[in-house]
Amino acid sequence: MPEIKNIRDLPEIELFTGGSSACAGCGGSMGLKLALKALGPKTIIVNASGCMTLLPLYPTTPLKVSWIHNAIENASSTAAGVRHGLDMQGHDDMNVVVYAGDGATYDIGFASLSAAAVKNERIIYICYNNQSYGNTGFQWSSATPFGSETKTTPRGRENQIGTTFVQKDMVKIMGAHRVYAATASLAYPVDFLNKIERAKKRDGFSYIELLGSCTAGWNYDPRLTIKMSKLAVQSGMWPLYEIEEGILNLNKDFKELKPIEEFLEQQGRYKKLPPDGVQKLRSLINKHWTELKEYNGLRYV
Amino acid sequence: MKQTLITGNEAAAWGARLARPQYIPSFPITPQTECIETLARWGADGGLPNTYFDRLESEHSVMSAAVGAAAVGNRVFTATSSQGLLLMHEVLYIAAGMRLPIVMATISRGLSAPVTLWSDHNDFLDQRDSGWLMFHAENNQEVLDMMLIAYHVAEDNKVLLPVMVNMDGFVLSFTDEPVTIPSFEMVDKFLPDYAPEHTITPDRPVTIGAPALDEYTFFKAQNHVAARNALGVIEQVQDEFEKIFGRKYDMVDEFMIEDAELVLITQGSMSTTAKAAIKEMRADGIKVGLVRLRIIRPWPASAIKEALKNARAIAVIDRNVAPGRGGIMLPEIVETLYYLESRPIISSFIVGLGGNPQTEEKIKEITHKLMEDLESGTPRVEWNDVEEL
Repeated sequence: MPEIKNIRDLPEIELFTGGSSACAGCGGSMGLKLALKALGPKTIIVNASGCMTLLPLYPTTPLKVSWIHNAIENASSTAAGVRHGLDMQGHDDMNVVVYAGDGATYDIGFASLSAAAVKNERIIYICYNNQSYGNTGFQWSSATPFGSETKTTPRGRENQIGTTFVQKDMVKIMGAHRVYAATASLAYPVDFLNKIERAKKRDGFSYIELLGSCTAGWNYDPRLTIKMSKLAVQSGMWPLYEIEEGILNLNKDFKELKPIEEFLEQQGRYKKLPPDGVQKLRSLINKHWTELKEYNGLRYV
Repeated sequence: MKQTLITGNEAAAWGARLARPQYIPSFPITPQTECIETLARWGADGGLPNTYFDRLESEHSVMSAAVGAAAVGNRVFTATSSQGLLLMHEVLYIAAGMRLPIVMATISRGLSAPVTLWSDHNDFLDQRDSGWLMFHAENNQEVLDMMLIAYHVAEDNKVLLPVMVNMDGFVLSFTDEPVTIPSFEMVDKFLPDYAPEHTITPDRPVTIGAPALDEYTFFKAQNHVAARNALGVIEQVQDEFEKIFGRKYDMVDEFMIEDAELVLITQGSMSTTAKAAIKEMRADGIKVGLVRLRIIRPWPASAIKEALKNARAIAVIDRNVAPGRGGIMLPEIVETLYYLESRPIISSFIVGLGGNPQTEEKIKEITHKLMEDLESGTPRVEWNDVEEL
């Protein structure tokens, strides 16, 4: 796929057909559908256990590419085996792509991910980040943002904030592995697909993290997935940037960020976040945004 | 043919090298480390021309990478021990369920806590329901031979299951023994190239590891059928092996059992010690023999039944323990002999945990106790190496 400029230039190829068991408005499956347009048919998806694991269900699958699911914590090491295995068979033209959730990426599969990255394996790792353990019904992961309620960080009399931890800065951590690391959004498909294309051309490891809005867990109207994705970017909750050779590049700059309230108020997970919680969340976002602006074009890690 | 002095770890590495695997994922752990180090050294010297030697960050990732490479059609080898084998445990079931003929050398070491570096069989036997085929060698020659037999059996279309080849840590892994290392030409004649029918290629999309609903039982039943098929395949492959290499292996190893009233059942390296003790006891007129379990999965029930049909008293010598139950192999033997017309006395001895040495004296002691049991008609359950419990 040549670099694209406009949404009308998205490749027509459709490798994710109808009949999937994912929720209506599922950000993770929309992300895979889009990603496959850039990846093409010579692709094998290595999946970590999560919502996407239920896309194929014996004996059917909505996917027209190869797929291997091993377990939750080992997608990167499985992918390393697949990569070297394909290379040994002379199939070095095949894309090996991990498609894993944030729990499998930030938490339980982190050691395996770090090793594959540090060895610069020729793998494209796409994390669809729904900021929780989504498939088990929305529990806390270390990608859950401050102030979000989850089933294991519920609000109550003793804790009105819900998630009191601040999420791991995963893109920075991956950038520090001296690989290509980037964020992406469903609301900016041109940017997302160009990043995949860039990853395909690299002779090494790439990490792309897509905000994979979860209608069930975040508790919003499934029709609003793209709108939620856009608001996340515009409010600074999910800035679009990339790190290569340690240099930061802010892909979507704004003179002023939108107030986060518009993003928060449509989601059940933030409904009862008290004003001091909203205030703290806003300051965390501002701090991150200021940091990104300050290092834009400079060595970041 | 010329024999070379090599350790058990080197014998496993030689077995792997001769089988020409395309992918070797590795992670160090005592007492296995020497095996992967040997392969790494050969690789660095150009001795593994068609192999990618990989280094992972844990045993869990080693087995995961093995699954990945095997799923795209590679012949794969790896090795581990003890805690590492337990860390792999989750992925072992997946490898078997996906029907990937990976071969792994396992070098037995007791499990923590407390920490031990020395051998017993709990790590190996912990995997017995994983769907893998499980072979257990007595000496370094058998380690190497079993590796080659393992690939042949694993890759047979009637089987397509992974195999682990076990040896006892230290006693074999770090001990030089004379081993005949066959030539590549002979091994190539014995072991054809791996050409899997079901694998992922760029032109043919395949899904591996999908969820199954009602069919789940069907897949598990197929795994069971394949493991049962392996019984016949192992026999056939061992016959082919004998024709080419001249070394004969049976489903169980029988030693002096023709007229034996007393039979010791053993596993692994202590069998060599027991055989020496049996020779001496035979000279004293004691009718004792030995059956060594070398194929643990699939369970060669009829070979075991046949070997034990004339025994009057049996000592199942378990180098392992299932706390709250006893020796792990005891119930397997008891079940196997349940339908014999005249059942022998079966006593249980738990021995050699954490590498506690099994001397000829201890084997003789067990035999004398078994003799008493035969006379009294009462079987016993005993912990050798423990004075009082």
